[in-house]
Amino acid sequence: MKIKMTSVYVDDQEKALRFYTEILGFAKKADFSQGPFRWLTVASPEEPSGTELQLAPNNNPAAKAYQQAIFQQRQPAAMFFTDDVKGDYERIKARGAEFTMPPTDVTGSTIAMLNDTCGNLIQLTQLARYSR
Amino acid sequence: MTVREQYTPGPASGAQVRKDGEKWTLVLVRDLRHSPEKVWQALTDPAHLREWAPFEADGSLGTVGTTAKLTTVGTPTPQVSESTVTRADAPKVLEYNWGAQDIRWQLEAFGGGTRLTLWHNIDRRFISMGAAGWHICFDVLDHLLTGTPIGRIVGREAMKFGWPRLNSEYAKQFGIETPNRPSQAAQES
Repeated sequence: MKIKMTSVYVDDQEKALRFYTEILGFAKKADFSQGPFRWLTVASPEEPSGTELQLAPNNNPAAKAYQQAIFQQRQPAAMFFTDDVKGDYERIKARGAEFTMPPTDVTGSTIAMLNDTCGNLIQLTQLARYSR
Repeated sequence: MTVREQYTPGPASGAQVRKDGEKWTLVLVRDLRHSPEKVWQALTDPAHLREWAPFEADGSLGTVGTTAKLTTVGTPTPQVSESTVTRADAPKVLEYNWGAQDIRWQLEAFGGGTRLTLWHNIDRRFISMGAAGWHICFDVLDHLLTGTPIGRIVGREAMKFGWPRLNSEYAKQFGIETPNRPSQAAQES
C-alpha cells in the first residue's frame, strides 16, 4: 500500500490548473473527463512519478462547507515540502501569488502560507533538518 | 467466452463535431433495429439506463420539468449532478442537462427501427473521449434492446474494451490531439 495521491478542493478546475502550474510550478499529469466529471492531477517536476495532487471540484455542498470552514480557520488544505522555502516564497510571490504568511520559523521547520485563489491556503514547509 | 468478453467495438464512425467558436458539440448518430418507443424507454427509465448509460439516474427522465440526480459510474470518484428535463416529447425528443453540459436526444422512425441522434456539448479537449465512451454505450444499448444485455461498460471497464483505440480514432477524425490518458493512479482507484 502506498500513498500516491492527495487532493484539494477547488472552486474552478481551469483556474486551479493555471495556478498550480504557472504560479506554483507543478506539471499537469492526468486530465480526463466523463460527462461533468473531470479527473485532473498535477505532479512536481522534481518528482514526475511521485505523489499526484488531484484538483477536485468543490461542487457538492459537503466539499464546499469543509473547504470554507478550514479556510476561515486559516488552516492549510495542503502542505508541500521544499528544500528552499525562502527561494520558493520569492519565486512564487514574484509571479503574483498572495502570501498570508512569509517564511516563518516554527518548531522543527520554516513555513510559509499562500492563497491558491481557488478557496484554499497552501503551506510550504522546509523541515529544519534540511537547513544548513 | 461470454458475449461480453467477445465484445469489441467497431471502428469509429457516425460522429461529427459542430464547432461554434469555443463551444463544441458532439453529434452522434446510431441506427437501431428497435422502435422509437422502446428506445425512448431505454433513454428515460432508470432501470434501463443502469444497463447501458454512463450514469445512474435516481428518477425517470421522461417528463418535462422533473429533476433527477445523475451520478457518474466508473469514475475514480462519483460525480453527482442535478439534472432538469427541459424537453420530453415522447418518443421523439428528449433534452436535459448533465452538470453544465447539455444532452439532446432525437429519435426518428427509420427503416423499421430508430435513427438515434445525440447532441452533447463537451469541452473540445475531451470530445473524443466522449465520442469513444458513447460509442461503446450505444453498442451495449443495442445488445440490451435486442434482449441480449451484456452489461454496462463505462469508466475503467471501457479501457479493456477498445476505448483507447476509439479515443485515438475519433481524435484523428475530429482533427485534435489525443488527450492525456488517465494516469495509472486514476486507473487503480
